[in-house]
Amino acid sequence: MSIGALISLAFTALIIENVILTQFLGICPFLGVSKKRSSALGMGMAVVAVIVISSIITYVLYHGVLAPLEIEYMRTIVFILVIAALVQMVELVVKKISPALYKALGIYLPLITTNCAVLGVAIININKEFNFIQMLVYSTFVSLGFLLVIYLFSMLREKIDSAPVPKAFKGTPIALIVAAILAMIFSRFGGLI
Amino acid sequence: MPILLPAFVLGGTGFILGILIFVVSKYFHVEEDHRIDDIEGMLPKYNCGACGYAGCRDMAQGLLAKQAKVEQCKPIKTEAKIALMKHLDELFKSELELKKQ
Repeated sequence: MSIGALISLAFTALIIENVILTQFLGICPFLGVSKKRSSALGMGMAVVAVIVISSIITYVLYHGVLAPLEIEYMRTIVFILVIAALVQMVELVVKKISPALYKALGIYLPLITTNCAVLGVAIININKEFNFIQMLVYSTFVSLGFLLVIYLFSMLREKIDSAPVPKAFKGTPIALIVAAILAMIFSRFGGLI
Repeated sequence: MPILLPAFVLGGTGFILGILIFVVSKYFHVEEDHRIDDIEGMLPKYNCGACGYAGCRDMAQGLLAKQAKVEQCKPIKTEAKIALMKHLDELFKSELELKKQ
């Protein structure tokens, strides 16, 4: 695996196949926690941590335990167990390190468990038959793509808050329209590589 | 017994993760106001959200901060409600006395 191929994989994961805007995974926190820049950044970082750690653990579990024992069909339930436990741990750590972030994220922090991007990345890693380094690069850059887009979107939403939006479009409707335009822009990156 | 293999794998994974969570929770333990625990213990713990808070613990914090009323809790039984009101009254009274001193 050459460095060039890894860079193209990273770029694909970050922009071209962006987890939110082209694969439409993890939409719930994308809309729920993007009202403020600081909480969007906190959410993005928490998701990056959960995706990277859970990808490593699920990859090792799959290739070290499930595949040798020929019980690959157990992967969904085992992966969900790992993700749920990891989110519990992240919650405890965030509570200790940053009570302000813990309060800002509120119910969305335990909801990382049901963030389909986390399980999605774990399963894509297996389905695409990545080796360990590819898996590491892919899951890191997919989650960084999540962070990038949720941060961009929160900046846009902060601007929209002070813009003269028609009354019927205030709040979530205009946010959805902005998200749609962003998704259209990102879909055009498809021709880059 | 191939049927037991998945059960062992899942159980084993769960056991290891459970121990890990226990270790992390010990290591990152946060000391919290025990009065919130007391009030939360008297609420129904359905976490239904009918009171307008995100859960019973959130509601307990609201009650302690005098921002919420016991009436906001819909599923609570009458006896439990009276006990909770008494508990809150005593709590706030003792607070007042402390302030006077």
